[in-house]
Amino acid sequence: MSRSAFLAALRANLRGIAPKTADEIVADYASHFDEGLAEGRSEQDIAAGLGDPARLARELRAEAGLKRWDQERSVSAAAAAVLAILSLGAIDVLILFPVLLVVLSLMFAAACVAAAFVVAGIVIVLVSPFHGIVSGGFLLGLIGGIGFFSGGLSLGALVSLCGIGLTNLMIRFGRFHVRLIKPVAA
Amino acid sequence: MAETIPIQLKKGVLELCVLALLSRGDGYAYDIASRLAKGIEMGEGTIYPLMRRLQDEGLVATYLVESPSGPPRKYYRLTDTGRQSLINQKADWTSFSRAVNAILGEAE
Repeated sequence: MSRSAFLAALRANLRGIAPKTADEIVADYASHFDEGLAEGRSEQDIAAGLGDPARLARELRAEAGLKRWDQERSVSAAAAAVLAILSLGAIDVLILFPVLLVVLSLMFAAACVAAAFVVAGIVIVLVSPFHGIVSGGFLLGLIGGIGFFSGGLSLGALVSLCGIGLTNLMIRFGRFHVRLIKPVAA
Repeated sequence: MAETIPIQLKKGVLELCVLALLSRGDGYAYDIASRLAKGIEMGEGTIYPLMRRLQDEGLVATYLVESPSGPPRKYYRLTDTGRQSLINQKADWTSFSRAVNAILGEAE
């Protein structure tokens, strides 16, 4: 593989990484070629020594995805980190997928229940004092509504915590495999 | 399958080796990569993701040095955190390898 083919393949597989970081990475490998050429090695020899650019790019992308998750706890950062780990083949998707599907469905159901509780709480507080939906009068309606509302919020918070915990667990597991079990071929 | 075991071992100690090389003096990636490639037969390409991670974790820092020929070279140096990490990892490695050797010795 020539210098330009290697760098082009690397660049093509760095999609999704911040452009500035991708530039730095490509520059690192470009200067590796320059150093090697100055030593009298051939482009093919240097490229062979470096290994598969697509595989290197996947490893770099996983590292970038994990770093972003460390810095920002958002759904998109979690998805990016998990996808990056999966793309490395560090976690067996076929084994993980059904488990993940069940866990995610449960979490989704819990989130829906939480939202319903919150909405019901608000409705009860607003409506029951005037229309007497809840038998027992004004105070009971108010307390019941607030109860539903805060119950929904607590459940929602619990679901978010589970989501963060689940992502962290997958990342720790994936990282362990990336570092020790799935090396770039030497 | 027999090939993968030594590769796993190498991968596990790669970080330790890089920190140890840098503790003896600052270096640039090509030099580190070719020394490790000769010493423990690592793929040269693996060094770059590793250097990036070490930099993100604050174990190494970089600076540019003007080169007589071509563009400036990026040098890596150990930070204080990196030096401390080297001491810890070296102690782990020493006690681990001693324990393994002891077991291997018993088996003979």
